[in-house]
Amino acid sequence: MGTLKRYTKSVDGTIPAPALLYPEEEIMALQEGVGIYDGNQKSPQHQSGAVYATSHRLFYIDHPHPSSRSFALDLSHISRTDYYAGLLRSSAKITLYLSALSTGTGRLGSQSNTRRANEEDDLETWECEVCSYRNTSGLSHAASQVCTLCGVPRSATGNNTLSSALPRQLNNISLSSSLPSSSDHLNSMLSSEPVSRSDLGTTNEVACPACTFLNHPSLPNCEICGTELPRRPPRHAPAKSAPSSRPPSDDEDEDDYDELDDRPRMMKISFRKGGDKSFYAVLRRSLLGKAWEPSQVLTPPFKTDNSSSVNNRSGLNSILHDVSTKATTSQSNLEDALQDLEALIVKAREMVRVAEDLNERLSATTAAAASIAPNGQPVLDVVEPEEATFIRSSLAQLGLQMENAPVTQDMIKDERKWFEELARELAGVLQGHGGKGISEDGGMMKKRGVVGMDEIWGGWNRARGVALIPPSTFLQILPHLPTYTSPPIQARTFSSGLSVLHTPLFTKAAFSSRLASLLVIRPKTTVEVAYEEQLPIGLVQDMILEVEETGDICRDEGGAGVNMLDTNQGGETQWWPNVFNGYIWDGQVD
Amino acid sequence: MASTSFSPYKTASGFLLPSIHSAPPFFTQQPNLSTQITHTAHWTRLILSYARHRQLFLLRVEDAETSGSNWDEILKNERINRKLLPTHLSFILADMVSKNLAIYEPVRQTRSVLLYWRTPEEWAEVLHGWADSTGQLNTILTFYDIVEPPVPSPLVGLPLTMLRKAIAILAKTSRAQTIAVADGEGVRFLSGNTTR
Repeated sequence: MGTLKRYTKSVDGTIPAPALLYPEEEIMALQEGVGIYDGNQKSPQHQSGAVYATSHRLFYIDHPHPSSRSFALDLSHISRTDYYAGLLRSSAKITLYLSALSTGTGRLGSQSNTRRANEEDDLETWECEVCSYRNTSGLSHAASQVCTLCGVPRSATGNNTLSSALPRQLNNISLSSSLPSSSDHLNSMLSSEPVSRSDLGTTNEVACPACTFLNHPSLPNCEICGTELPRRPPRHAPAKSAPSSRPPSDDEDEDDYDELDDRPRMMKISFRKGGDKSFYAVLRRSLLGKAWEPSQVLTPPFKTDNSSSVNNRSGLNSILHDVSTKATTSQSNLEDALQDLEALIVKAREMVRVAEDLNERLSATTAAAASIAPNGQPVLDVVEPEEATFIRSSLAQLGLQMENAPVTQDMIKDERKWFEELARELAGVLQGHGGKGISEDGGMMKKRGVVGMDEIWGGWNRARGVALIPPSTFLQILPHLPTYTSPPIQARTFSSGLSVLHTPLFTKAAFSSRLASLLVIRPKTTVEVAYEEQLPIGLVQDMILEVEETGDICRDEGGAGVNMLDTNQGGETQWWPNVFNGYIWDGQVD
Repeated sequence: MASTSFSPYKTASGFLLPSIHSAPPFFTQQPNLSTQITHTAHWTRLILSYARHRQLFLLRVEDAETSGSNWDEILKNERINRKLLPTHLSFILADMVSKNLAIYEPVRQTRSVLLYWRTPEEWAEVLHGWADSTGQLNTILTFYDIVEPPVPSPLVGLPLTMLRKAIAILAKTSRAQTIAVADGEGVRFLSGNTTR
């Protein structure tokens, strides 16, 4: 009968079901006592059996004639299912609506060709073109497209050459004759095959419309450029005329009906002994699982259209497709990672809050202990319990010390307030935290009067650890800084573009007078001044240039001396007090 | 100002160099504008007084590039191993020209100047005084007679450019008259109205 025969494959029901499975296939459910409807009619040959739902297929094992009447149906053919709970004497049924076969043209010729190809795929072993591994049959349709050893897709190597196709065909014939369950239909198709082959013999190769490469007739796409090849009329002609060369059978009427597509392609499973509900649930899960589709990792090129052209991609097309798939994958991976990061930040905030809480409680208990102490308690009790100290130091090690918890914008609503809080925090980083806590080192600027802006920005952000401050914000809070620092720390930008923060000791005026008195003793080079001031040379150079701009000092570039060999007076610029200021002419007067 | 107190120095030609000439920064062009103005003023005064001392009229940028010129005594200071760089001298000369203390000689170049340690007006007075004192009023003199007189005079070696300027000034007040003579130019000085 039409639908049943075309969509199902005979299996030998005497073999236990688990032995019929593909390597990656699993049995999901089993139900005894079912009957099959082909379309809306009872299929008289399949009225008493067991039905297995696996991850890939649906098996029907006939009880009276297990070897001849059992069959398997690929789940991939099922487009839709329906459930009928049963009423009075009619038993519960599951209706399976089947999708059009393969290429979807519904034409007799291509249909039977596809059918034949499927048979081949399942029955033969094939050798991988890349690693020569002989892949066994019995894999599911999807898995059989990929070499089990090296993972190269079967079609990518373009193995559909005439020489390999012919032996396969022979192989097929012998196999099918050895299988008693093979349908008449298949045999008739195989017997008609040589006819079409001989017809094809003359115009064997198909010219690609895009690149004119002569492709083997069995290829649907051009081997070189992947363009779809025109369907050759000679291929259909013998198929159309096939009835004359085929033994007449009642299949043909069915096929013709189907070709007109008047009738829904469907079959039903009738559950005579119940168990329908659970079975239906399992079946639906299998269908949704789509285990027959190739996994993405193995064969990315097939991901998008495995329905029609699983083995059609080859050459440049497949490479391009591969690349785009990879790009998509990495993009989605990246997005996932970013989301994870955000979640992590949220968690970190929570952790900080918990640590804060813990620390406060510890402080509270310590304070309580301290307040009790005067009332006759031994002074020893004031000492923080060992456990508390341990917890505190652990928190510090984790970077969760609360005394210098970074100020973040979400803590403070007002922007101006935020800047002020940041300035306060920065003051702590620069000058230590008011003598208590962990800053025995006294902050970044305890021993240094001038520090580069970049270094401070980096140091501050390192101290914060989280919620880093952008340079723009950093610059905005600098005007607030003198308010919170003692002595006030101010920002200064030199003509070279170097920006620093400095203590009052290094204002322009202070440095200028210091430098002048230094130079009176002896003129000095920049390096010597840098040594005196214990500052970087580049910084000192900028500071000296600023003093020079005020006219308090002057320079002697030397170098171009009378005696070129005198190396004692090298080319280094010496700084002098301004010898021209207040100079009164004491030379020749006439 | 212990180390920066320098003392004046008398050169071989008897010129008294100012103390600032012994300060190394004096030989460096100063980037600071106000310092530079003072600095250049000191140089200008040094150059003009030295020119007056040595009766030098022309100063060239080359004088700072080569050694052995008349200007070595001030453009170099071997005691502190410093010398004026040509570019710096060029800058000073340009400044002097802009202040009308010198003119480019010849014109349309900037490498050589005629120094005005006396202005043309002053030279005009010197010229007229010389003619008057040597009793040569109302006689025709060639330029050669003036700049290379048989008896030494303050006018020896005076460049012709300066001489012409001075004569032109005298001519305006009718104290001199240019006359074309057989072998070039001549001048006749007149008593004029301002003579003593």
